[in-house]
Amino acid sequence: MLEAFFTLFLMMLLSLISTIAVYLAVTERNLLRAVLFSALQSMCYAFLYYILMAPDIVLVYVPVSIGLYPAAILFLIRKTKECE
Amino acid sequence: MLLRRLITVSVLIVFIVLTSYTITALNVLGELPPRGLRPLALWFLNTSITPWLNYFSAMAPETVTAIVWDYRGLDTLFETAVFYFAIIASIALFRGIEEKRGGGYVGLSKIVRVVSRVLLPINIVVAASIAIHGTITPGGGFQAGSAMAVAPLILIIVFSRFFLKEKGLSKNLLIALRGAGLVGIGVASILALALGLLSGGYSFIFQNQPKEAAPTGLPPDVLGFPIAGTLFIFNICEFIAVFAGFTIIFILLSIPEDVAREALHGEH
Repeated sequence: MLEAFFTLFLMMLLSLISTIAVYLAVTERNLLRAVLFSALQSMCYAFLYYILMAPDIVLVYVPVSIGLYPAAILFLIRKTKECE
Repeated sequence: MLLRRLITVSVLIVFIVLTSYTITALNVLGELPPRGLRPLALWFLNTSITPWLNYFSAMAPETVTAIVWDYRGLDTLFETAVFYFAIIASIALFRGIEEKRGGGYVGLSKIVRVVSRVLLPINIVVAASIAIHGTITPGGGFQAGSAMAVAPLILIIVFSRFFLKEKGLSKNLLIALRGAGLVGIGVASILALALGLLSGGYSFIFQNQPKEAAPTGLPPDVLGFPIAGTLFIFNICEFIAVFAGFTIIFILLSIPEDVAREALHGEH
C-alpha cells in the first residue's frame, strides 16, 4: 500500500516538474537554457515510462531525448543565434 | 512579470490535475487504465512464444520485439524506410561540403577526454548488448542503434569531428554501413520466402516461423540462444543502420555554418 502510494506520488511529482519544464522551455528566450529545460522534461518522462513499466520505450527515450535530441538542437543553435 | 508567470504555471498545473482527476478517478472516458488485459494484448502474450502453437507463434521470448518485427513487421520496415529517406535528404542537403583539417580545435579539456575514454567502451558494450539480447530482453535494433550513436556524438564534441575521421569512421564508411544494414533487413525479410521457393512450397514475404499453408520457417534458436528466426537478424541490421544514420547526421551537423556557406556559394 505504502509502495503504491509512493509510486503514485513520484509520478505526480515528475509530471508536475515536466509541465513546469515545458512551460519554461517554451517561454525562455535564451535557446541554450530552453534546450536544458527540454532535457529536464525528457528526463522526467523517461522516469515516468520506467514507472509505467515500458522498458522498451525507456531504452529508446533515454539516448534519443537526453542525448541525441539536445545535441542536435545545440548544433543547430550554434549555426544560428543563441537568443531569440 | 514573475507573478504573471507564477499564475500561468499554477493555472496550467490546476488544469492538468483536474483533467487527470476526471479521466482517472471519475472515469469519464471509461475505465483508464483498464484493470485487465485487452483481448489483443492477451493474444500477443499467449502466442509470442508457444512451441505447441507454432503456426501462430513468433517464438520470441520478448513480446515487444515479436510485435515490432513479426506481427507488424511491414510497418517497422516502412518506418525504417522513412528514416532512410530522411538521412538521404540530409546527405543531399550537405552535398559537397567537406572541411579540410585546420589547426585550431583540439577538443575539450584533458579531464573530459579521460572520462570519455573510460565511459565510451561501457556505452558501446551496453548498446551491443541491447541489440544482441533484443529477442530476450527489452530493447532491440532501434534502441541499441540510438544508444550506440551517443558514442560518436560524444567523440565529436569532446575530441572534434576530425578524430572520428582519423579513426576511420568517415561519412562514406558510415553510408556504406547503413546500406549494408538496410540490405540485411531486405534479405532477412525475404529469407523464408527464398527458402520456401527453393524447397518448392509456399511462403510469404516477411515470414518468420512456419505457417499452416507455408511450412518453411527459420530456426527459433541457434546453439540454445533464442534468436527467434529473423528477429535477431532484423535487430542487428537495424542496430547498424540506425547507428550509422544518426552518426552521419551528427558529422554533417558539426560542420560549422561558415564552412557550409562557403561551400554552397562556391557551387554557383
